[in-house]
Amino acid sequence: MNVNPTLSELEAQASQEKAAFGGDAHIVCDNLVRIYKTEGVEVVALQGLDLLVQKGELVAIVGASGSGKSTLLNVLSGLDVPTAGLAKVAGTDLLSMAAKDRLRYRREVVGFIWQQTARNLLPYLTAQENVELPMKLAGKARKGRAAELLTLLGVDYCADRRPSEMSGGEQQRVAIAVALANSPQLILADEPTGELDSDTSEEVFHALRKANRELGVTVVIVTHDPLVSEQVDRTIGIRDGRTSSETLRREGAEGQIVAEEYAVLDRVGRLQLPRDFMNALELERRVRLELESDHIGVWPAREESNGE
Amino acid sequence: MKTLRLARVHPGALAMLAVLTLSACLLIAGMPRMMQGAFNRAMAQYLDAAPAQQADLTALATSNGIRQDIDSVERFKLWDAEVRKLLPAGLRPVVRPPAAGTSHMSAKTSRTPVHDTGGMRYINLAWLSDADRRVQWIEGRAPGKPSTKRFENTDIPLFEVGVVAEAATKMGLTIGTEQIIGESDYAAIKVVGIFKALNPADRWWSHNADALNVNEVQPPGKLDLEKSITALIPPAALTVLSGQARQLDYRWVLSVDTAALGSLDPVEVQAAIKDYDKALALNAKGDFAHRLDTQLANLIAAFLTKLATAQTIMYLALGGLLMVALGVIVLGVQLVLDRIDQALGLMRARGAALRQIIATAGGLTAAALLPAVLAGCSLAHLVPGPAVALVHIGPALLLLTGIGYACARAALEHRAPLNERRGDVATAKPSAKRITLEVLVIGLALVGAYLIRTRGLTTDVATQGQDPFLLFVPIALTLAAALITLRCYPYPLRLIVRLAARARPAVPFLGLTRAARARSFSVLPVLILLPALAVSVFASLISSGIVRTQEVAVWQKAGAPIRVEYAGIFTDEAIAQIGRTPGVDQVVPAQLGKVQIGFTAERADILAVDLAAWSKLIADAPITLPAQPGGDGIPALVSPAMKGRGTIDVGWQNRMKVREAGVIEKVPGFFSQGRFLVVPLDANQRAGTRVNVNTLLISGSADPAQVRAEAVKAVSAAVKGGDSAKLITVAGAAEARAAITGDALTGTVLAILRIVTVALAAYALVAVVVTLVISAAERAAALSFLRTLGLSARQAQGLTVLEISPMIVLTSLAGLALGLVLPAALGPGVDLSAYTGDLGVQSYDLDLLTPTLLAAGLTGVAVVGAYAHTAISRRRSLGSVLRVGE
Repeated sequence: MNVNPTLSELEAQASQEKAAFGGDAHIVCDNLVRIYKTEGVEVVALQGLDLLVQKGELVAIVGASGSGKSTLLNVLSGLDVPTAGLAKVAGTDLLSMAAKDRLRYRREVVGFIWQQTARNLLPYLTAQENVELPMKLAGKARKGRAAELLTLLGVDYCADRRPSEMSGGEQQRVAIAVALANSPQLILADEPTGELDSDTSEEVFHALRKANRELGVTVVIVTHDPLVSEQVDRTIGIRDGRTSSETLRREGAEGQIVAEEYAVLDRVGRLQLPRDFMNALELERRVRLELESDHIGVWPAREESNGE
Repeated sequence: MKTLRLARVHPGALAMLAVLTLSACLLIAGMPRMMQGAFNRAMAQYLDAAPAQQADLTALATSNGIRQDIDSVERFKLWDAEVRKLLPAGLRPVVRPPAAGTSHMSAKTSRTPVHDTGGMRYINLAWLSDADRRVQWIEGRAPGKPSTKRFENTDIPLFEVGVVAEAATKMGLTIGTEQIIGESDYAAIKVVGIFKALNPADRWWSHNADALNVNEVQPPGKLDLEKSITALIPPAALTVLSGQARQLDYRWVLSVDTAALGSLDPVEVQAAIKDYDKALALNAKGDFAHRLDTQLANLIAAFLTKLATAQTIMYLALGGLLMVALGVIVLGVQLVLDRIDQALGLMRARGAALRQIIATAGGLTAAALLPAVLAGCSLAHLVPGPAVALVHIGPALLLLTGIGYACARAALEHRAPLNERRGDVATAKPSAKRITLEVLVIGLALVGAYLIRTRGLTTDVATQGQDPFLLFVPIALTLAAALITLRCYPYPLRLIVRLAARARPAVPFLGLTRAARARSFSVLPVLILLPALAVSVFASLISSGIVRTQEVAVWQKAGAPIRVEYAGIFTDEAIAQIGRTPGVDQVVPAQLGKVQIGFTAERADILAVDLAAWSKLIADAPITLPAQPGGDGIPALVSPAMKGRGTIDVGWQNRMKVREAGVIEKVPGFFSQGRFLVVPLDANQRAGTRVNVNTLLISGSADPAQVRAEAVKAVSAAVKGGDSAKLITVAGAAEARAAITGDALTGTVLAILRIVTVALAAYALVAVVVTLVISAAERAAALSFLRTLGLSARQAQGLTVLEISPMIVLTSLAGLALGLVLPAALGPGVDLSAYTGDLGVQSYDLDLLTPTLLAAGLTGVAVVGAYAHTAISRRRSLGSVLRVGE
């Protein structure tokens, strides 16, 4: 860059669009805020959450109850509108969508799976009809698509059964087929295995991974099941309405899975220290930072000498 | 999507909605038919009671000379066609074709004097188009062609005529009698036939009563009677009958079908009659003076005025029913929507556009409503009566409201796709705008009620229609009462909650707190329950008021269970014999007469009777008689018209002086207005003559016909010869009751009021039950949660009852109060005398029992329903219920 730019160069620089946060990531959440307001009482569910998910990724979002993960999912699914911040999915700005765009978004961009197996499917329709429902709603029914999806997820034998005639795992796998019906780019699953035993959970996860690998769909799973995090490439922890940590999983040199937990640094440099770290060193109110050549050291504040 | 399959999943809710709609449609479409049918029958009855001459349309033309004479039946018929052609379309359906009913044509002279009688005899000539069908020649023959006769050196026409038998005896017009008629242009008549009417009661004769009876008038200042009769002439005589020298009128009588009149708008009929009159005058042929001669418009106007306010009451009751039915259907739709809410939410989340959601909700509602509305309307078709606007508008309104509500609610609920609410954070406070609006409604209602009491109503209903005020005020009052109830009911509850909080048991505190928070009870049930109860109480008050007043009217008219009047004198033996008739308990003799007041032409009615005995006779009836005044001489109770005269000199059997000892407004069964006196039975005896009993007041269960037979027998035994049967009249309470309660309208009005009462009570109950069902899931979750904290099943039931009942009790009380206030508020504007033998309904505040039972019963059943509901939901396992609430 020129050390002494001319005025015209500065102008050009100013008018140039800066690369947005997250660049071309599939899901971009920047400083996302969602406040529920009822008759003057405010509940802040998301308080400046940042999140980036790349296309084709399989990520899990974990967090305690009330941490805001379901709110995040509702925002991403287009069912809820954030109060402030930036939320983009596949280039669509979720804040500035008109009702029509929102409908198109729900029809074409996302698929959704809820925790309650019964809530995902209409009880009076068969599995096949349930899968056809979103296509019909969008007005573009494709012949054979439903059977195709049910086969892919290994529940083709359930095509003519009603939800009440299926097991929980089968229901969830049909629900995945329903979510995939309109070939979305993103699948959001809210505790998809919350009501299932571990074996059935495994089946459902297998189905989700299959959809992720074979159809190239981005999958975001919200859960507080620690086992889930072992099944995904990346686990994002949410605490008090913010992303607090990320666990990356990669294969080690000897083929073993190595999980590394990272704290998340936001755009202005804020960092959330894990609570047990803070408790262990009794970090309170202020800490001392020391910049080293390859890391930053965080130290408890020195004991103030009493005038000595 | 797959609406029918969705419908099959929730058969209960949809069936309930369908049944509610069916019943509402049946009532809303059936009762106006019933009512209109009764109104029409009553109008036909009223018009039929008037002479046909007034009710029919008569086109009248007067001939003024030879050029204008109609000399043949053919020309009459041509004219008839012309006259009918001019009929406005609005009148055509009610006019009978030629020669049907009383339709006929006539040519009639009027005031045609008989020569040389000094204006004391009149023989009019009349040709009546269908006389041959109406008369029977009992002597001589039907008149034939006219001929001529020489009189005062000129040839004058000689008409062969037929007269009624009465004319032969009263006017000496026997067969072969010839008379010269006319003043200057003479004609002669010759009686060739004597006839009698085949059916004198036929309404046709009302137009030609002058041919059937000799009209006798006593002209002022003369001792003899002036007599006139109309003699019949044959069609052939028309060629000779001319209007040149005498008053000759042509009439085309268009018979009006009073029963068909009901299907038309009376106001339009009145206008059409006016139009017809104008059309006839404008299309007059030649020099004829044409006009329409009818009283139909006036008769209709009189009828409408008589029934207008009563009709308003009916519409008020039906309007209330319609409103409540709408509310109940909306509640039913809410139940259905509640059931499919999750499916709609899922569809919305899966990418359904709002219109798809609306179509599903609307379609499902229509699937339940449409067949029910059609079935209800078809069933209502079985109810006899014409279809008025409400018959079509009502069910259409029900259908559209149901579907419209379903669509609107689905749209509002699912406008935002996320079907989760954080409504638990705080209760919504009403906005200032809403409070202002509510205060405005309450203010308007109170001002309206005040105005209706002070300014009254317009009475010119025949031309101006109903006073909208009468309909507006009750609706506004109901709305105001509902708003006040909704806004204010938590305050007394909170007071009780405070007390309950200090008490040891937790259940009252918890139950009342939940009731005061009113989460479980929404606005809709209050808006249904309150008007339902109010209108229901109102209807029951009105109907019991009518029934009671009818009974009073019956006794006012009858005076005694059986009353025997005789134009002669009952002997003691005869009285004793009548008293022995099976079923006769008690006989009170009386003497009825007419007396001269002073020595003037003033006359008064008088009744000599033992009032104490009479009072005893009618001890069970809802009327009372004053006590007989005692004292010297002849004490008399006088009518208000004779008040203040002190001692009155009257001439009855003897001259007597009666002393005014009090005033009596009415003498039941005898006098209600004018001048009358009531004296002790032995008044004549005290005046020096004897008591001649001519009236008997009888109590007991005897059959009036038997009493009559016995009276005839007893009287015949005393008086030899003569037709005693004709001189005895027997009347009684049963007959009066049949006359008052038996007319087409009264029975229907009472039936409708009773149906409305029952239907509204049923709807109110349904409203409570549906509300319970709608809030069941939420309540079950709350109760299950409390039960995990140690609430016993019995306590849970108590809790539900405590939670539900305050609202029901308070709303019931408000509804009851409003229902009791409504008649008082509308009192001056509502005249129900048409249903009570022209006796105005004076007070409504007597019968508190029915309304109170209604309100209490409703509350009781609702509370029991709440209790039963909890008992049933107890069977569900805690786990599953808690899970539902997650």
